[in-house]
Amino acid sequence: MSRKMILRVPKFQEPKRMEKSEAQRLWLLLKDAIVEVQHMNASTLSFEELYRSSYSLVIAKRGDILYTGLEEVNNHHTKNLLDKIAQAVDERFLIELNSQWQQYKLQQIMIHDILMYLDRMYVKEPQLKVFDLGMFKWKQNVLIHSQINDRLVRMLLGLIHMERNGEVIDGALMKSLIQMYVDVSLKEKETYKQEFEERFLLATSHFYKSESNLFITNNSCGAYLKKVEIRLIEEEARIKQYLDESTGPKLIKACEDELIANHMQTMIEMETGCRTMIQNDRFNELKLMYRLFQRVENGLVHLKNEFAGYVRNEGHKIVNQPENLKDPNALITSLIEIRNRFEKTLSQSFANNRDFINSVNTAFESFLNENDKLSESLALFIDKKLRGGFKDSNDQEIDVIMNKVILLFRFLSDKDVFKKFYEHYLAKRLLSGRSFSEDLERTMISKFKQECGNQFTSKMEGMFTDMRLSKDALDGFKNYLQTSVEMGKLPKIDMSVRVLTQGFWPTFPPHSCTLPPLLSQYCDLFTKYYCHAHTGRRIIWQTNIGTAEVTFRLPKKTHVLALSTYQMLIMLLFNDAEKLSLKQMAAGTSISFMDIQRSVKPLYSGKYKVLKRTPAVEKSKELSENDIFELNLNLKCKLHRIKFAATSQTDSEPERQHTRQRVDEDRKIEIDAAIVRIMKSRKALIHNDLIVECTKQLSSRFVPQTSMIKKRIENLIEREYLERFPDDRRRYRYLA
Amino acid sequence: QDYSNLFQNHQFADFQVEIQMQNNKNSIFDCHKCILSSRSDYFKALFNSQMKESKEGKVLFSNVSPLIMNQILKYIYIGEIEISHENAIELLIESKKLLLDQQIIQTVTSFIKT
Repeated sequence: MSRKMILRVPKFQEPKRMEKSEAQRLWLLLKDAIVEVQHMNASTLSFEELYRSSYSLVIAKRGDILYTGLEEVNNHHTKNLLDKIAQAVDERFLIELNSQWQQYKLQQIMIHDILMYLDRMYVKEPQLKVFDLGMFKWKQNVLIHSQINDRLVRMLLGLIHMERNGEVIDGALMKSLIQMYVDVSLKEKETYKQEFEERFLLATSHFYKSESNLFITNNSCGAYLKKVEIRLIEEEARIKQYLDESTGPKLIKACEDELIANHMQTMIEMETGCRTMIQNDRFNELKLMYRLFQRVENGLVHLKNEFAGYVRNEGHKIVNQPENLKDPNALITSLIEIRNRFEKTLSQSFANNRDFINSVNTAFESFLNENDKLSESLALFIDKKLRGGFKDSNDQEIDVIMNKVILLFRFLSDKDVFKKFYEHYLAKRLLSGRSFSEDLERTMISKFKQECGNQFTSKMEGMFTDMRLSKDALDGFKNYLQTSVEMGKLPKIDMSVRVLTQGFWPTFPPHSCTLPPLLSQYCDLFTKYYCHAHTGRRIIWQTNIGTAEVTFRLPKKTHVLALSTYQMLIMLLFNDAEKLSLKQMAAGTSISFMDIQRSVKPLYSGKYKVLKRTPAVEKSKELSENDIFELNLNLKCKLHRIKFAATSQTDSEPERQHTRQRVDEDRKIEIDAAIVRIMKSRKALIHNDLIVECTKQLSSRFVPQTSMIKKRIENLIEREYLERFPDDRRRYRYLA
Repeated sequence: QDYSNLFQNHQFADFQVEIQMQNNKNSIFDCHKCILSSRSDYFKALFNSQMKESKEGKVLFSNVSPLIMNQILKYIYIGEIEISHENAIELLIESKKLLLDQQIIQTVTSFIKT
């Protein structure tokens, strides 16, 4: 009840219907004011009065009078301005246009402010907002008018052209005029794009097309690259200075197309181009080229291919150089050198780009496996280093070299071949006591282990264990000898034995020889001792890889000769004879004639000659069975101990063949294992799939030949691991 | 936190809002341009206009009562307003004309509707 009283809301007074004459009066008031504004006489006007007038018209629903009136006033004003501006000549034109435009823009802001209520409450789409209406009128009546637009764009482009040619222009003026195209665009800068940007980009392409063609024919590639870089920096600055930022990507793209993309092939092939730069290690120029090519589509692919091609070519040359084929050390050294060189190029010029690195690696892989010598050469290279080649290097340098070795090793497709050679040379180093440092040996092996896992190095590590255990066994043997009964009867000799576990060590070609009785007795004693200490083991003597020291008594002097077992046996024969033919030597020692030849050679043809050939003949002449030798009693040597090379450092061809054969044997086993593994899990498989799968599984160790896999499959069928399907001969089934 | 201090003691005031009265005893409010312009697009435009008002540092209103203007200014400074059945309609009209924020327009409108 009482609520009614409180709810006595004052009745909303509908504004009195405005008389037409009153509406007209208000409009005229506003119109005069707008004209004053357009003549820059705003300071005496009352904002409140004008705002209230426009407000009153709008709430009296007379906004239409105001809006259409405004349109007319703007129309009229801009048409007047057009004449004024069009009359200006030459440079005055731009200045006049700009100053009128700046004023016009200010006026439009003022008009918008006065008519803000109209703008907010009356204007509805698709009508233009008050300010936009002003912009539209300017565009329609001034900017895109035939007397203005073309003239303006031509002058703007002319100025930009001048600036590109090194002249100074008024950047602020440019910015204002270019921004005008953006300001009058109603949506998405369409006027700017249509009227200005499109023509600007065209002019840009045209300018750089002719400039680049001319420049590149008259200058070096390096100079051209620098020019391009400068041009791109200038254009970036131009965007900031007076273009709309939306033009940025398009402008840069246009420049890149003309300056880089269109000339890539030339820059690669020209005389001073990419090839020469790579050849001469011009890192800075290449870096610049990389940076610029990176900007265009597929640019880096060109550069990468060119670089990879060069790498492959250089590598190919090194791998096939006749001197390098003879000298493994030189070969590996030059390979490490080019690797270093290309790594430097990669890091200094190509930002260590993954793709570049990969393609260089692929190139290395291809030329390193071009010839099958590399595995052995690499093993020999390390052998030489570990025999003392590292003597003058510090830890860091050694580490660098070892890492390079691992790197080259990584590219080898036949890692098993390398492994065999490495084991072979390692065994030789250990047995002949020629290894420079056990620490370094172990470091090298641990690096292989890191690279390939335990399996790869287990045998090598086994060798080291054997060496250690042998030492213990030998100490034990010496104690045993002192307590042994038989010892009293034998003359004392210093004997050292190494017990090698079969399987860890490479098998040495079997050779037989007859040991002098004294040595045989010692050997028997050791066998007895060792087999007693380790029951169930069997000892096979490999005397031929041993060494011996022999006292050589001359009439005036005594020397100690360090000899191989064979050489010792030969020399001992001279205790009972003055002259011996090779044939007799062979008969007396049961050594093969070939080994006799090899063993005798250092004794009579080396620096110190303990034997002489009678009658004396030319050194180079091949030895024959009937050549006769006698002791050289006139030996002149200041050294007390004389060391003789057992055989030549590198292996003889038969030994190499032997190693190869063993690799092949091992491969057969590996392939068998792989085939069985695959078939066991897949049960049935088509021939081609089996080959592919098998190759894939083995690729970390070697690349098996298809023919070899085929043979192994046949073999496994014979051994009834597999069978062919009776209805499809190309499919195999696993027989459990 | 709010500007009630400034609203009450007019310190640093740099603009006058004058209300024209029938008896020629005009009411004058001392105000701060920065505060008025931050809450009202009308005042922002007026200060920018470089017309008479911005030169003289005052504006003259004729069709509004000092009480209403006081409420409007209170809202502008403090964010509070006293709406009653007596002043609601006038408040709405004036806040729309002065282009105040939507919040007050909605508040007053919903007050009137209930």
